[in-house]
Amino acid sequence: MADADDRYNWGPLVQDLNERKEKALAMGGPERVERQRSLGKLPVRERLDLLLDPGSFVEYGQLADHMDPALASKGSFAADGCITGIGEIDGRRVAIAAYDFTIMAGSMGAVNEEKVTRLRELVLRQRIPIIWLLDSAGARVGGGSGSTFAGMGALFREQVALSGVVPQVAALMGHCAAGTAYIPALTDFIVMVKGISSMALAGRHLVKAATGEDVTEEEMGGSQVHTKVSGVADLEVADDAECLEAVKRYLSFFPSNNTTRPPLRETADPVDRRAEELYEIVPTAPRRAYDMTKVIGAIVDDGDFFEVKPAWARNIVCAFARMGGDPVGIVASQPKVLGGALDVNAADKCARFVWLCDAFGIPLVFLHDVPGFVVGSVVEKQGIIRHGAKMLFAVSEATVPKISVIVRKSYGAGYFVMNGRAYEADYLVAWPTAEIAVMGPDGVVNIAFRKQLEEAPEGPERDKLRIELAEMIRANIDPYLAAGHAQVDDIIDPADTRAAIIAGLRANRDKQVFRPWRKHGVMPV
Amino acid sequence: MDIHAEITANVWQVRTEVGATVAEGDELMILESMKMEIPVEAPISGTVTAIAVKPDDQVKEGDVVATIEP
Repeated sequence: MADADDRYNWGPLVQDLNERKEKALAMGGPERVERQRSLGKLPVRERLDLLLDPGSFVEYGQLADHMDPALASKGSFAADGCITGIGEIDGRRVAIAAYDFTIMAGSMGAVNEEKVTRLRELVLRQRIPIIWLLDSAGARVGGGSGSTFAGMGALFREQVALSGVVPQVAALMGHCAAGTAYIPALTDFIVMVKGISSMALAGRHLVKAATGEDVTEEEMGGSQVHTKVSGVADLEVADDAECLEAVKRYLSFFPSNNTTRPPLRETADPVDRRAEELYEIVPTAPRRAYDMTKVIGAIVDDGDFFEVKPAWARNIVCAFARMGGDPVGIVASQPKVLGGALDVNAADKCARFVWLCDAFGIPLVFLHDVPGFVVGSVVEKQGIIRHGAKMLFAVSEATVPKISVIVRKSYGAGYFVMNGRAYEADYLVAWPTAEIAVMGPDGVVNIAFRKQLEEAPEGPERDKLRIELAEMIRANIDPYLAAGHAQVDDIIDPADTRAAIIAGLRANRDKQVFRPWRKHGVMPV
Repeated sequence: MDIHAEITANVWQVRTEVGATVAEGDELMILESMKMEIPVEAPISGTVTAIAVKPDDQVKEGDVVATIEP
């Protein structure tokens, strides 16, 4: 820099630029940043450091500002309160939008929305995953916007256009409302930080004004609500660091977009490892419950699996894992909850999981121990017919390789929705304990022999008849009967379950299904 | 901490007693419903301070079946 020569006077220009950048990097200033820390929240730029591979972040729009004369009194907004750009996670490029709560509560404004719109365009052109770190009160509601609202809303439609094309992940790291509740709703995977995050259509002040209800953000839409009751969120974590780890872990099962294969992760775990611990995990006594997650742990690579919605609809387990190095989506009955019977929430949880795996080419493995759907007036009023049909629809539609293992019971519609033979199961095997039937023996007796039972004198004679009839029917519930008719592909030693599933997956690796053209089916909802 | 029945069921077996020390995951009792034996497990470690049911009792989903003091 030749200070003596006025024609080459870069010094002040570069210095001015650096000062502006430093200001942007300081976010909302040290006081506001400290306040976030005191709440157990990391400043947004530190969240990005934890999430992304070091040095990989290419930031877009660092020098953006609100540019709104109505907000002039508030000074300038660093990066207009949302940091956008492209970085890498485990060496794979991702797009990221991270809201900065220290800038006007992370609210969405015209300029930061311009930044995220640009990000969505880049994602569409590059076909890479997009991640939102949400910590935002929603859109800035000013006095002046009025009916110019009519032109807004494209952000959600653009997300829908990306749905099933690239993975979309939302991390809820603060209290979010309205717009910032619909963003996660349209993603594939939502993780919430316990105690500091929430999502709801409206914040508490609006709710109070609209309905008179007095409720906190946590009570209305905190992680307990959404991971245990509403089923909107997929996972609850203890803090920001765990949240970002969960995002990374989730993405590790997925390809960067829907036209590439899910990523292989080599493992030293032998593909034909016998899992003899299963003899101790699953009782042969058919009425005795057990924990299906232990079965999953015994058969997947390195015992490692990642459950989605573990605290909701616990009667079914939906988990990502790897088998022989390749990602799989596991759908498994959980006998120790409701006896493994399916209800409306379990059907919804499974349908969504199946659609997600199918969209991104992740093969499905179904582990059956299901006595069917819960019956009765309570579930009928809940619409179990349409929820059950939803699960059936999803499983029928899925064209990824689908492997089914009948562990114990698999009755009626339960057998079908868990990917029975007729549902394009590509390899279906049964344990010696498998009971595939339209329903259990006691159920059949009560229907097919109701008259005979009624004619028998009530008391020990009727009980004896009932037991005899049940035994007669039970004799026909025999997996070797199905095997004899070649209706199951094999009967396996439980200890060979891992080997059998991996063999089935490899045998069907290049599965392709062609269906008649249609715009789309009419999904039960 | 109150332990609730997750499903409407019959109490089949009670596997612990008042005063017993239990670890998280220990089986407190077994309910019977949907033709299945469904275990009720301790969600936390502690001492059993109350057992609200006995074998053959009917419980509704949500009923308190036991209490554990951490």
